[in-house]
Amino acid sequence: MLLASYPRFTRRSTSILALGIITFLTLASQVWAHKVNVFAWVEGDMIFVEGYYPGGKKAQNSLVEVYNGAGAKLLEGRTNQKGEFSFEIPAREDLRIVLTAGMGHKNDFTITARDLGGSETSAQEPVPKISETVAALPATTVDVGQLEVMIDQALDRKLEPVIKLIRSTRKEGPGVTEIIGGIGYIFGLFGLLMYFKSRNRSK
Amino acid sequence: MHISEGVLSPPVLVAGAVLTAAGVAMGLKMMDNEKIPRVAVLTAAFFVASLIRVPVGPSAVHLVLNGLLGLVLGWAAFPAILVGLALQALLFQFGGLTTLGVNTFIMAMPAILCYYLFGRSITSKHPSVATALAFICGFLAILLSSLLLAMCLIFTGESFMQAAKVLVLAHLPVMFLEGLIVAFCLGFLMKVKPELLGVTHAAG
Repeated sequence: MLLASYPRFTRRSTSILALGIITFLTLASQVWAHKVNVFAWVEGDMIFVEGYYPGGKKAQNSLVEVYNGAGAKLLEGRTNQKGEFSFEIPAREDLRIVLTAGMGHKNDFTITARDLGGSETSAQEPVPKISETVAALPATTVDVGQLEVMIDQALDRKLEPVIKLIRSTRKEGPGVTEIIGGIGYIFGLFGLLMYFKSRNRSK
Repeated sequence: MHISEGVLSPPVLVAGAVLTAAGVAMGLKMMDNEKIPRVAVLTAAFFVASLIRVPVGPSAVHLVLNGLLGLVLGWAAFPAILVGLALQALLFQFGGLTTLGVNTFIMAMPAILCYYLFGRSITSKHPSVATALAFICGFLAILLSSLLLAMCLIFTGESFMQAAKVLVLAHLPVMFLEGLIVAFCLGFLMKVKPELLGVTHAAG
């Protein structure tokens, strides 16, 4: 008897519910996603760190800690309103940047010594350096240090769109392929479970 | 609601894993062949719901659906959520494999509680009462998950009151949304496939 009264009840309340859902979707402005991402890049003498959630929401006021290769903490700070934090390169070695966004969200990003190389201070860099190459050439009148700074600046300028592109592509959430794939896994898994359960029964 | 790797200490992770293992064992024991397709469908729903975010301005909303899973699946919500979370961790690096136990427990325990509070009796209630109960069920599941998550975070040095306040406030829109969704789903299931809810009770 109660079941019979359901159709009427659903039809009446469906539109109300749909309206309610839309309202709450628009009202909900502050919800945390599942995962925090951290991305860091080098520009000149500075390292820029950006924290964000899938979909592009910034990780504001999150703790950023920088560790060197040996695991010692070099510095720490907090991201600003744009989810960014920047600092001068503390050491030209592998740097691990750890972002803690609170509520169990944490991630890290490693900048290698190679990424930090190429500047005039990296005397120990094993990578062939411009200064050596240039010095080997006869009749060079250009100041080598100045040349390196100029090249660095030009590269920063040229690479800016590329870095922007990398930053934006990294913000994209999971793709359709992964979602469909995941659903496939689920049905496959439960299909297997069913197969083994039914086989046990028939024995 | 997914705790990342490297946040919690090993004792908390182990405790979560042990509790989840017990819950999954219970769920598998209660899951007969007829129930498996239902569990599969709801696992897929859980997996997708927590994945697809609806963008709202600069932010996004995502669902958990643990109240619905508890209501329909009972103890089978444990294996369902475990599988969903494992795939999310593997495919999207949400949460993590080491935190799988803790995360499953955080989302599945409220589901079981909802099952015992509402799942067995909800179909015998008057439709309007049932709708209200379904709303509370969806709302409560997220609220309890937020509180459980806050409890886990005590061990990382965050104070419970502060973490709980932030988490509950952050999930408030999700609580309302899930309440509406569970209420809607209950109405829909009662109309289209009432035995889906009824059979669960007979089995559980």
